[in-house]
Amino acid sequence: MNAVRKKEWLCPRNVVAGLAAGAMLAVAGAASAGVIKIGASLRMKTETGEKYGQMVVDELSAINAAGGVNGHTIEIKLLNDECKSDIGVANATKYAYQDNVHLFVGSTCSSVSLPIVDVIHKAGVPMLIPHSTNYKITLKGSPWVFRVPISSRFSAAAAAKYTAENIGTKIAYIWASDAASQADAQKFYEYIRNFHGEGPLYAEQFQEGELDLRPHLLKIKALQPEALMISAQSQDFARGLVQSYEVGIPPSVKRIGGSAASNRPAPILAGDAIKGVFFHAAFSYVDPDPNAQAFVKMTTERYGVPTPDHDFSQAWDLVQIAKRALERANLTLSDDSLAADRAAIRDALATIQGYKTLGGGVVDFCADATPECRDGNKTPVLIEYTKGGEDYELRVIGKTTFGADFGLDGMQEEAAALRKSLDN
Amino acid sequence: MDLLLDFIIVGLSIGIVYGLVALGISLIFSGLDIVHFAHGEVYMIGAFLGIAIVSISGVPYFGALVGAMIVTGAVGVVIERVFYRRLTRGGGGYTVAGMGMIICGFGMSVALQNVAYLIWGAAPHPYPVSFGMPIFLGNIALPKSYLYILVSALVLMAVLHTFLTRTKLGLAVRAVAYNKDTSYLMGVNVPAMISLIFGVACAMAAVAGVLIGPINYVQIEMGYLMLLKAFAAAVVGGFGSLPGALLGGVVVGLFETLCAGYLIASYKDIYAFLLLITVLMVRPTGLLGIIVKVKA
Repeated sequence: MNAVRKKEWLCPRNVVAGLAAGAMLAVAGAASAGVIKIGASLRMKTETGEKYGQMVVDELSAINAAGGVNGHTIEIKLLNDECKSDIGVANATKYAYQDNVHLFVGSTCSSVSLPIVDVIHKAGVPMLIPHSTNYKITLKGSPWVFRVPISSRFSAAAAAKYTAENIGTKIAYIWASDAASQADAQKFYEYIRNFHGEGPLYAEQFQEGELDLRPHLLKIKALQPEALMISAQSQDFARGLVQSYEVGIPPSVKRIGGSAASNRPAPILAGDAIKGVFFHAAFSYVDPDPNAQAFVKMTTERYGVPTPDHDFSQAWDLVQIAKRALERANLTLSDDSLAADRAAIRDALATIQGYKTLGGGVVDFCADATPECRDGNKTPVLIEYTKGGEDYELRVIGKTTFGADFGLDGMQEEAAALRKSLDN
Repeated sequence: MDLLLDFIIVGLSIGIVYGLVALGISLIFSGLDIVHFAHGEVYMIGAFLGIAIVSISGVPYFGALVGAMIVTGAVGVVIERVFYRRLTRGGGGYTVAGMGMIICGFGMSVALQNVAYLIWGAAPHPYPVSFGMPIFLGNIALPKSYLYILVSALVLMAVLHTFLTRTKLGLAVRAVAYNKDTSYLMGVNVPAMISLIFGVACAMAAVAGVLIGPINYVQIEMGYLMLLKAFAAAVVGGFGSLPGALLGGVVVGLFETLCAGYLIASYKDIYAFLLLITVLMVRPTGLLGIIVKVKA
């Protein structure tokens, strides 16, 4: 029976087909030699998202136009994950196993980046994160993960410190169910509780896209807080702000946003309701720093965006960091060297030190797979809206830089649980 | 006491909107014997059309409301005439053709969402109207947009009731809703009446979309949750009953808001569906529904 099967396998038709397939694979392999493949998965649901996605592609293409990286050209693939974790995971899986990328860039949303960490960790692909802020992403402890944006353990603490010192500690919180918003609110009230001994006056979660936040807001109104934190993606955040005025929460109650409050749709949707709201971010387009202003000029001229938010600036920073790492990495880029090339890029990323971001923070990475080494930027900027609508205006309240280990006290148990899930 | 009144005002404002969408669903069910699963998207299209009209300089908010009603109603007639007519010829309800209608409704939902995406994009759009600060009655805040919702819904209900009960056309619509074959024999133009029912139902959804716009934003994904809540409202009120749809909307809106207010607000959506399940278990016909085993 086995002999008959062997004979069938060795028939001329199968041999020819096998040779043809082998030849095709050889050609495909030869074509990929000398090419650094980068796969990006970003939220590009809106025009703003499409534009910063395009900016990433343009910046990497510009590197090719200038001769590439150490003679290698960069091939960039860009996919839209719509801020949905299932799509993001599918994109990452495709990049890791089908496209065999050397570097993964993504994602915009923490809810998407969190499950992607597991995928890229198992596949062994370096992951450079442009926007996701949830502290758990690096707490998972994957050696393949590097984060350019500011972790929520720094940014929420900065906003909480400012609130406690300038506004008060009687604070009500509502947050959307996405990972970034949850972490922003959690780290905010943990700071107030740990450093000022005051628990949250009201703390509830709502579903992303919830139409009517007024039951929460009416309860908050009755509690008479000094400040109200609405931590949500820009659309839900703006809705909460508008409805907070509708239910009669007085303007004297300071409204506070999370990192997504910086996104361009927030002031456009909220209109006048956003005036006086402050939030934390990595960059402000009103920063007088010459580098920041040169960047604003570039986004205005190239993409028609005169008020780029930190999604734009961090995407740009990411490309510069990726370029430095790729220049330092000793890449073979042959068919057999995929794993070694990926490891080389990972190790090169770990050597990035002292990169000054457009927002003024400094990105330092190091080799340990710990949040201290992998949360690059530790300098959140506090920003206030002085005008809402299409032509919104901002002012920078201040910046502060944290130590690498800030906010990690008492998180050993959570870190161990996250690492365990990563290894499963 | 102030807080309770606040919750009632909020519950009423959102409940009326649920009721208006549920009214359209009930109208279509009574006329075509089908559940229209694309009605959430019709509501979304109506809201977008409202923005488009109100953006034309000089058109007031109520002008946009009426304009969106007319245009969305016309869109509804076209949808019914072009896509659903062939299927309704084969019958509705528990027939194979009825199942085809339901599937077609799902398809229409996706198609309308994509059409809206192509025209208006995925980004949410703020409503370009401002009602100013709420009216304060002591500690109670009463936003003017809520008053518009209440007045518009009452006026519309009155007009619809008058149309259905006091006009010949309304009588014909009711006849078609009751029995199409007999209506044919009595000389009623049944296809035209079905188109009319569909158009009116879509116009109601547009009103809900335009009324919710200033409280919320308009975006292509806004129809899904509203459709679920409107179904809950239609079932609670009694599927196929027009006064029941509006009553169901108000009951669902009040119930979920009060539960969110006095229990855990994070579970607001769950309360609405708990009410739906309870009503189905205790009174399957809904509040104003009647027991009909097989439709005449």
